[in-house]
Amino acid sequence: MKRVAVIGVGNSKFGVRSDATFPEIAFEAIKEALEDAGITQKDVELSVVGTVGSRLYEMYPAPLINEYTGFTLKGPIRVEAACATGSAAVFTAYNAIASGYVDTAIAIGVEKMCEVDTPTSTAVGGRGCYLGEFHMFGTSFACYYALFATAHMAKYGTTEEQLAKIAVKNHYYAARNPKAHFQREVTTETVLKSRVVCWPLKIYDCCPISDGAAAVILASEEKIKEFKAQDPVWLEAIGFGSDTGNLTRREDYTSLRSARMASETAYKMAKVEPEDIEVATVHDCFTIAEIMAYEDLGFCRKGEGGRLIDEGQTWIGGKIPINIDGGLKAKGHPLAATGCSMIYELTKQLRNEAGDRQVPLKRYIALAHNVGMIGQYCYVTILKR
Amino acid sequence: MSKTPEYPSMKSRTLTLTHDIPISKTKTYWEGLKEGNVYATKCKKCGEVYYPPQTDCPKCLTSDAEWIQLFEGELETFTQAYLKPQGFTHYEQNYMIAIAKTAEGVKVMGWLEDMDVKAAKTGTPVKITAKIMPDGFPTIIFKPK
Repeated sequence: MKRVAVIGVGNSKFGVRSDATFPEIAFEAIKEALEDAGITQKDVELSVVGTVGSRLYEMYPAPLINEYTGFTLKGPIRVEAACATGSAAVFTAYNAIASGYVDTAIAIGVEKMCEVDTPTSTAVGGRGCYLGEFHMFGTSFACYYALFATAHMAKYGTTEEQLAKIAVKNHYYAARNPKAHFQREVTTETVLKSRVVCWPLKIYDCCPISDGAAAVILASEEKIKEFKAQDPVWLEAIGFGSDTGNLTRREDYTSLRSARMASETAYKMAKVEPEDIEVATVHDCFTIAEIMAYEDLGFCRKGEGGRLIDEGQTWIGGKIPINIDGGLKAKGHPLAATGCSMIYELTKQLRNEAGDRQVPLKRYIALAHNVGMIGQYCYVTILKR
Repeated sequence: MSKTPEYPSMKSRTLTLTHDIPISKTKTYWEGLKEGNVYATKCKKCGEVYYPPQTDCPKCLTSDAEWIQLFEGELETFTQAYLKPQGFTHYEQNYMIAIAKTAEGVKVMGWLEDMDVKAAKTGTPVKITAKIMPDGFPTIIFKPK
């Protein structure tokens, strides 16, 4: 396997982007990534386009994205892994280079979600398991994660206040991230008093429905020398995990088995331990998901995720700063863009380019945890500089 | 509803998708719901129980299953939906969705009735039945025993 590094990253503004179509948003991220790498489309051999796309008027969006952004003839390979689509795109691009098939590739994640109304978007999202669940019960993603919240609270005593503290932290950092969907802080009280979406989750426990794109350019070690790339960030490991499609076939509702699987693989592949990670982006589509991520990734013991946020250990200055870009919760969650956007943020952090939100680093090791659906997919990526 | 865009936009042509879903292999299940009964399948060869039911067994690669009825379970988790997706917005009640574990070893999803979400407890024994809603769609109902 060849060594692979990130040589360029780009991220569009996340939010309700009624000013632009999905290829136009992809263009913003790709332009930034190419300029960041100091190369052009000609230097990139393969494009991997990740989009869930189920809310689009366009059913086969990848060739159009490729054409609009100047990548015709360079793929595209289209990938989809629900909310983990961006990481699936990075995984595909990584493997194409690691195997020696190509030396450079771009992973693009783009999602347009706000062109349809909320009940439609909720129905599209909730149709992760139609016959077994949606058809009869009207499940939404908020409901699915609420089922985990209830079980986690019952088993470990996790509280609504602890969930709210995740939202407070992530809004705090989003308010300092110009690319984030939400640009304002919230208080624990505001979160707790906000309207219930799926009990016990309230509106401030949920990520918004967002539009956005992000792109990651990867290259082999040989190509990096040829490009004279200044500051490559090495992609040390990507682990993947999965689980059943039907939620009723899960072993329990307090942890994601796929996240445990993916992180175990990634830690082994990168030869690091959870304690070695200095900054992380985790999949906080709902506040309970961040608490479970702390536990599944080994940042604390099982059941102690609530305590970790109570102690402030996941803020900058704590044991392991997490989602210091605002997370999905407040930066926004344009499904396929999320995985690439996590790599964007961590690359900036590892290069010490994160400004006000810079985490002080010694070992320069970062981790991204990107979940698809409710753990039907999970990718854990470890980066080093 | 989505916010009024601040920027100029135009409407797409409408696309309507309604599917005719084959139920030849699971007819017993869908018919059972109309009579208030919830069935799982059990592979006749290896004994594996499946819920949602499936007649094909991926463990032993045979397709010979028998139908077994599920009567009761214990609440494993639950929620109450205030946000309703397209297809459910005509239901006035904020339905409670729950997962119950049965003695047969499978878990069932259903709508929890006669319980308040704040008073509900995991581990509560529930009866599992089914009914057809006024709009013609089936659903599964859990009630405390």
